Amino acid sequence: MAERGQGEGGSVRFEAPDDIEAINRLYHERRWSDGLPIVPPTVERVARMLARTRRTQDETVAHLAPGFGAATVERIAINAVMAGCAPEHLPVVIAAVDAAAAPEFNLQGIQATTNPVAVWIIVNGPVARRLGINGSFNCLGQGTPANAAIGRALRLVLQNVGGALPGEMDRATHGQPGKYTFCCAENEEANPWEPLHVERGLRREDSTVTVVGAEGTMNMNTHTKDAAELLRVIAETMQHPPSNEYCYGSEPWLILSPEHAEILRAGGLTKSEVKRQLWDLSRMPAGRMTERDLLRVKASRTAELGEIRADTLLTIAHRPEDIRVIVTGGPGTHSVYVPCFGNTRAVTREIADAG
Amino acid sequence: MEIAKRGRAAVTICSTAFSTLGRAQAAALGNPELPIAVIPHPFGTRTRDEVRDLARQCVADVVTLITEKTRGE
Repeated sequence: MAERGQGEGGSVRFEAPDDIEAINRLYHERRWSDGLPIVPPTVERVARMLARTRRTQDETVAHLAPGFGAATVERIAINAVMAGCAPEHLPVVIAAVDAAAAPEFNLQGIQATTNPVAVWIIVNGPVARRLGINGSFNCLGQGTPANAAIGRALRLVLQNVGGALPGEMDRATHGQPGKYTFCCAENEEANPWEPLHVERGLRREDSTVTVVGAEGTMNMNTHTKDAAELLRVIAETMQHPPSNEYCYGSEPWLILSPEHAEILRAGGLTKSEVKRQLWDLSRMPAGRMTERDLLRVKASRTAELGEIRADTLLTIAHRPEDIRVIVTGGPGTHSVYVPCFGNTRAVTREIADAG
Repeated sequence: MEIAKRGRAAVTICSTAFSTLGRAQAAALGNPELPIAVIPHPFGTRTRDEVRDLARQCVADVVTLITEKTRGE
């Protein structure tokens, strides 16, 4: 395969066979794909993608652990094309890359760990509606091009620029389906409280991405209409002894369905009061953990909690406000608990060039 | 890596589960020759005596690696 020069953002151009199956075999053999077919990132497609940002293509947005490759705008655009993004998705992907590289996100740990952690992207603000990013029916499932492509683009950047290839620098024991794509919008219209980005200091009219190191999703189906009962069963779901959250004191996430959020609002609860009650209700006796895991808890939380014995009640997070709550999804009596990787904190970035 | 960058002899210790990561990351950060002492994974199922034996072997490996590295320079 003959090389045909270089792009301005550090890419290598080569002449590929004019055959979609042959191109996909090539991308598979070179481990540039996530296993699914890609859209060939031709010079023309990448140029159309790059036209959607005012950034120059050689600008480095971040260096991404664990390989510390330079995530230039051009390289991000190439992976966005491969993932099936439309050009207007590019600013969202760039902002997500920037957020994932923030030190507090701990990308080194997230990319290289044996934990199944995936990077979940939450989109807030007007850009979500404009790009058709789903925050309603099946927003974490299949069927919405923007959700599918934006999440997949970030994964391809993390793998191809960050160097986290499965079995090599990505040491995940199992991984999870969310490592293909994991992206949704918050359902701000159905949120009885302030949306996530406003809670995190931005204006309602700003467009943002928030990245979360998410271990997975645990569905909670309850038909209760009682706020106190609802909080009790959510807190009981959050309690799980083999947990990084109780081990380190972490940042667990809760996706409330609009119906469950409305029950809590009608019960007179603010979002901060929901967090405070969940923090109290989810305290777990340290003795529920295995002896070896309890040693890890003692090593990481004794300074915070004092002497830790079997009857010590461990909190899931250092502070109630570290429990994160968003409202998204369609009608239904389901909410979702999203346990977090542990040594990570979510990061929010405003989307430049959101349009 | 940071210590090695400052011109000091340095050895990284990791388990077999992370040795691929260690070598790949050392190469990515521009130091493919970084010596790595590798301990068999996992530790959790081993007895205290077995862990002691592993530790002794690891110390010997570190001494060997750092001596070789120093001689080579």
